[in-house]
Amino acid sequence: MSLAQKLKLYRKQLHEQNRGAKESSPNPQQLDQTLDDKRQNQAIRRAAVALDADLRTFEDQYVLVHSERLPLATRIGPYALDDLWQTVASWQTFGAAHPLSAKGLHAEDLLFFDTETTGLGSGSGQMIFLIGLARLTDRFLELKQYFLPGPGHEAAFYDSFLKDCTSLKHLVTFNGKAFDWPRVKTRHQFVRDQVPKLPAFGHFDLLHASRRLWKNRLESVRLQSIESNLLSMGREKDVPGKLAPFLYFQFLKHPEAGLVKGIIEHNREDVLTLVSLYIHLSNKILGKAETDLEENYEIARWFEQIGDHTHAQTIWEALIRKDSAFQLPAKARLAACLKRKGDYQQSLKLFESVIAAGGDESGLVSIEAAKLLEHRFHDYSRAIQYTMSAMTQLGHQRNDEKMYPLKEAAYLKRLNRLKLKRTKKFS
Amino acid sequence: MIGKQTIEELLHRLKNDQNTAHWQTIPGREAHTAPFPDSLDEHLKDALRRRGINSLYTHQAEAYNSAMMGSDLVLVTPTASGKTLCYNLPVLQTMIAHPESRALYFFPTKALAQDQKNEMADLIDAVGLPIKSHTYDGDTAGSIRQKIRQAGQIVMTNPDMLHASILPHHTKWVSLFENLRFVVIDELHTYRGVFGSHVANVIRRLKRICRYYGSNPQFICTSATIANPREHAEALTGRKMFLIDRNGAPSVKKHFLIYNPPVTNKQLNVREDETHSVVRLAGDFLKNKIQTIVFAKSRLKVELLVSHLQKINSGRQDRAPIRAYRGGYLPLERRAIEKGLRQGEIMGVVTTNALELGVDIGQLQVCILTGYPGNMASVWQQAGRAGRRSEDAVIIMVTSSNPLDQYMANHTDYFFSRKPESVRINPDNIMILMEHIKCAAYELPFKKGERFGSEHVDELCDYLTDEDLLHYQRGKWYWMSDGFPANNVNLRSAAQDSFAIIDITDQGHAKVIGEEDRFGAMTMLYEDAIYIHQGAQYHVDDLDLIERKAYVRKVNVNYYTDSDLAVQLDVLAMDKHAVFDNAHIEKGYGDVSVRALPTIFKKIRFETYENIGWGKIHLPELEMHTNAAWISFDPIYLDQFGKNVFQGALVGLSHLLRHAAPLFVLCDQNDLSVVPKIKAPHNEKPSVFIYDKYPGGVGLSENLYQLMPRLLEKASDMAQNCPCESGCPSCIGFVNEGRAAKQALIRLLKERSTCHSHKN
Repeated sequence: MSLAQKLKLYRKQLHEQNRGAKESSPNPQQLDQTLDDKRQNQAIRRAAVALDADLRTFEDQYVLVHSERLPLATRIGPYALDDLWQTVASWQTFGAAHPLSAKGLHAEDLLFFDTETTGLGSGSGQMIFLIGLARLTDRFLELKQYFLPGPGHEAAFYDSFLKDCTSLKHLVTFNGKAFDWPRVKTRHQFVRDQVPKLPAFGHFDLLHASRRLWKNRLESVRLQSIESNLLSMGREKDVPGKLAPFLYFQFLKHPEAGLVKGIIEHNREDVLTLVSLYIHLSNKILGKAETDLEENYEIARWFEQIGDHTHAQTIWEALIRKDSAFQLPAKARLAACLKRKGDYQQSLKLFESVIAAGGDESGLVSIEAAKLLEHRFHDYSRAIQYTMSAMTQLGHQRNDEKMYPLKEAAYLKRLNRLKLKRTKKFS
Repeated sequence: MIGKQTIEELLHRLKNDQNTAHWQTIPGREAHTAPFPDSLDEHLKDALRRRGINSLYTHQAEAYNSAMMGSDLVLVTPTASGKTLCYNLPVLQTMIAHPESRALYFFPTKALAQDQKNEMADLIDAVGLPIKSHTYDGDTAGSIRQKIRQAGQIVMTNPDMLHASILPHHTKWVSLFENLRFVVIDELHTYRGVFGSHVANVIRRLKRICRYYGSNPQFICTSATIANPREHAEALTGRKMFLIDRNGAPSVKKHFLIYNPPVTNKQLNVREDETHSVVRLAGDFLKNKIQTIVFAKSRLKVELLVSHLQKINSGRQDRAPIRAYRGGYLPLERRAIEKGLRQGEIMGVVTTNALELGVDIGQLQVCILTGYPGNMASVWQQAGRAGRRSEDAVIIMVTSSNPLDQYMANHTDYFFSRKPESVRINPDNIMILMEHIKCAAYELPFKKGERFGSEHVDELCDYLTDEDLLHYQRGKWYWMSDGFPANNVNLRSAAQDSFAIIDITDQGHAKVIGEEDRFGAMTMLYEDAIYIHQGAQYHVDDLDLIERKAYVRKVNVNYYTDSDLAVQLDVLAMDKHAVFDNAHIEKGYGDVSVRALPTIFKKIRFETYENIGWGKIHLPELEMHTNAAWISFDPIYLDQFGKNVFQGALVGLSHLLRHAAPLFVLCDQNDLSVVPKIKAPHNEKPSVFIYDKYPGGVGLSENLYQLMPRLLEKASDMAQNCPCESGCPSCIGFVNEGRAAKQALIRLLKERSTCHSHKN
């Protein structure tokens, strides 16, 4: 039996089997004939006109490029585009250690970048069909969007995009490290012989920064929720990003601009929001914008993690002066900071005041105090007291099957050593 | 316990045991060696010499030479014949000469890849050159994955990983695919049936990606002894193969006993259940601290045997020197058992064919087979577990009362001279092929007119375009869906979805203890079933078909459960057809629709196997289209023999065919089903259907259609040679009008064999 006959016989079962291969896609209308090349090209030309895009060609392939120039006074949420100059300038004097630091960069080097894809997967079968990017010049913000008119046009798509951004150095994205850029690399593999190499860009990923600051207050840290909750922006008639694959598949079958217009607008707004969000995040970190206590706390923690203790300490010191939920945690952090600097007296005082105020639920602060008392002050009796109270706190964590036995063993060891030292001291 | 008995004493006792039906001594064999090939790098020669190897076995030298000449080859190697050097030597030699070249090894299981990685690491260490070899599978840490992708010279993986991770992400593996010189496929014989048909398609995809990156790797395959190694390797890889099957390795002396349990009921010719004998025999060895491996055919049998054998553990569970090992256990549990066996902490293991493969468990002295395993390849693979590297090995096959076992017990010459079975796959099974067309299109677009395997696939791509999965543009079909097709395909299970088994004995700490495929779930995990896992019994509280979860609770009852299926069968299309015996008998082959409905389950008491109750199973029907071969008889026989008698004969024939079929094709018991129909819907004739139990079929019934005359002869033999009068489990089973039915069947089969027609 030929494959074609088999196909007929098994059509129903195959159809059921296929259901698993698609995530979304409500059943669309069938298209009875595939468009031939000539009619397809005509349709692409029509779509270019409707989308206000140039039709660029590369060998026999096409890409649609929509360009705009936005005046620098344009406001995106709370900021104007030319606020970016000031932000980048502030970084120059602040230091280079911070992951968002633009020290050594010009505002014109930044490439605000976002893509739309045919699916969320990371394999070789998922395509990017839309790249949106924005860059600052001394007179305007230049925004460009590259639209892939069909899967057979990827060389034109990447050639055009890559030739346009040779002078740029640094990507600004939202989740681009894990999502957009790896997909660019994957797709680039397919056309690498025909188009320029991928440049080695630096990268500010604003998702990571936003998560650090706002993960507790936002249900999910998405660009849209940041816009509405933190940048007081709202979108009119937004097409949700997750519909992008479906709308694009529809467009491929019926190349009408209306199908993808909403997605292109969505991408455009995403890119512009990146400019505003980068200014917003930077200003908060630089201390140039108002921050609340939680933001302060998280910014300081971030400084600490990248080894910038000076900036961290300044924030801790401010936080312990105000009565808030962050006062005690900040005290414990500051104490650790001072210990590192050798100010043991002050450090111990802070640890003890955290414990006295009931701020040591985990018992870890008591252990810190015990360490200082043992190694710096040789006061074994008080060290024993603190270790004992850490043991009591540990008792509440019995459910943690992994950590509990480890910690218990460590605390007991500490206790034994302290008792031995105390005996020696008095004998 | 009074003093320990040695293995000699135990063997002496067995010699006098009247149930020992046959004792075959297989002499040991000397090694045949060849000097190191001249072209072999000095580093490699030195490394081998330092490990005490001063020459190669002849088959190793032959493999090296033909691999270096660029042939694709398949090696047939029994257990412990040094097969790894057959492929490691040419691969390492090539890496030394051309460090940029790459090799991809794949093994049927992660455990085997792990074993091989360690062995390769030792060899590379001894060679003293920086060759990077690593496993890449679900257990590989995320931090080193990128490094392996870019710089791993030898990558060891499994087909599932290749299918779902490496191929769909080929752009991350450019340096591997651009420089791929060798693909090594170990344990080739395991890639059969559904699994093999999937793997053949995975290999088509692999070759397609290699072509894209400009490489054309050579294939080196190894297989246990099967009838058609070259044909199978060619079907699997699509390459012409050079066959190496003259083994030069030495082997130890083997005592191979066939043990036939005593008849307990003369009239019915019923024998004592083979599990009783196995427990007794294994117990004797284990009590005397002789390491023993017991093979059983089903997971249920494994669990039953372990629960009996653990009684001799003298209550100390923590030592647990006797363990069960089977699919459905979690990997960590398995690794612990393998280690325990190697280090001698575990004295005995009861297993399904899961331990047939080359998993390194060290040497065991005794191997007991609970029943004929269904094929000769398995017999010798399992027997190879005993005495792998040292003293005489003891192998005992305890035969059950099923027809094939009894046939073997009574025809031991036939048994020991039997040729191994052939292995079948059907890569063009439309259900399987279509899944891989999707995966392949996801990896690279299909060009118009492109072939996948040997077939043009334009029509299939058009179909997938209609299904909104592909998009056609400028002569190519592109994947155009937000899904990830490989996720939808499980290479190993017949149904594409598996059920998690969740132990809710401790409400607060529910945990997953294993998994079953849909068919297994419907037949073993229905509500109120008793499910047995690692010797413990669980009651099934709930089977959630939508979430694919079975909730079970630990219980202690004295019975187990067994389910019945009601089967409807319709012929959709007939591909082949032939008549013989003056058109009194006809055979056919084609596509059928099978609808199976689990109906009731029985509760069966452990000790006595008596039926102590039953219950209804409330589950929906399973429907499937597949291939079937059938044999139909002229309805005049109904009048000639009487309806009841003929019906009995038909049921009896199904019983015989079910057991005789595995003599001709290598398949697991679950791969085929046999169903008698007194009036087949398509031709209204009394018929027996044999169908592939996988949607679309995997080539078994097609093969049986061709072999039908021989199959019927074997069935006739089995019926005639059985001493019972009115049917017993060893021939036609217990059927209505047993005596007359058996006579009728013998006449029927004899008549047709007098007027042979081998034409199709």
